[in-house]
Amino acid sequence: MAVKEVLLYPDPRLKEVCTAIDGFDESVTTLLQDLVDTMVDTGHSVGVAAPQIGDVRRAVVVDVSHSKLGKKQKNHGLLQMVNPEIIEKEGDQVVREGCMSVPDYTGNVNRAERIVVQFRDRQDDLQVIRAEGFEAIAIQHEIDHLDGHLFLDRVTSLKTDLFRRKQK
Amino acid sequence: MQHFALTIIGRDRPGIVSQVTEILFRLGCNIADSSCSILGGQFSMILILSNPAINSKEDFGDAFAPLEANNLSVFIRTLKEGGELRPELEGELCMISVYGADKPGIVYQVAKELGDRNINITDLNTKLIGKQNSPVYVMMIEALLPEGIEVEAVEGWMAELKQRLQVDISVRSLLAVEL
Repeated sequence: MAVKEVLLYPDPRLKEVCTAIDGFDESVTTLLQDLVDTMVDTGHSVGVAAPQIGDVRRAVVVDVSHSKLGKKQKNHGLLQMVNPEIIEKEGDQVVREGCMSVPDYTGNVNRAERIVVQFRDRQDDLQVIRAEGFEAIAIQHEIDHLDGHLFLDRVTSLKTDLFRRKQK
Repeated sequence: MQHFALTIIGRDRPGIVSQVTEILFRLGCNIADSSCSILGGQFSMILILSNPAINSKEDFGDAFAPLEANNLSVFIRTLKEGGELRPELEGELCMISVYGADKPGIVYQVAKELGDRNINITDLNTKLIGKQNSPVYVMMIEALLPEGIEVEAVEGWMAELKQRLQVDISVRSLLAVEL
């Protein structure tokens, strides 16, 4: 249970394809808690993926319910996801994303508007949920981290996409 | 460190970027920021440069002469201190698409509505498309709405302009999220 340092690119762990978690032991619970603690500690963040704190296993946490934008939309509150997998995608939206691991830059990325995602929760129960809007964007962004994809790999249009983000 | 803005423009062909950047590399210049694109048949490059050993425009000497010899126009601007730093831009991002039959003043009149209200245009590009006998003008603007100005207000102003200019205009906010 600890706040971990968020790794910054070019840390090679951010480009790794993470391994699936198959024995649900205590280390998984600890990892999920570290992810939650780190997400809360970073204040502005709505999600953290395991490789961002240096653990290359397939786990992410997402919670858009505290963000200005997310709280206005339908959402599931805190999601702790092990081996998450998007099994359905629908619609298309352009969003200007920024990432804690790639500071100072944002880029326009295409994301599905609505997704169905399957994962194991903190109790090791299989869950299937429908997410949309900001929550769907956050889940897609975090799952990308598990495959070593950064939003920089998803930028769609050329013009001014790499846009210096306002400094915190 | 002294920074410079370098602008290069000339008829597009393969190899311009490599010729320009080879010169910069040999001079030991850092490219801090750049944007290059084809406009019409012209390739245009805008770069913000620095070089620890170069303090004034004159220090570049005739380094760019080979470019001029290849029909590229080269212009160097010496930046004032801090001119290389992007100002902190705050506000809500919005995209404005304007398109319709080509006529004089489209860019100016849309830009004036924004400028008069202190709305910062952060990106703008225009294209003339369509058939020669019925050209269509397309303009895409990315603008930053200062606090207190909502997308709906911009939509309202643009609705008036739409009538006046007889063009189509749509405004939408660009979702910007930190993850």
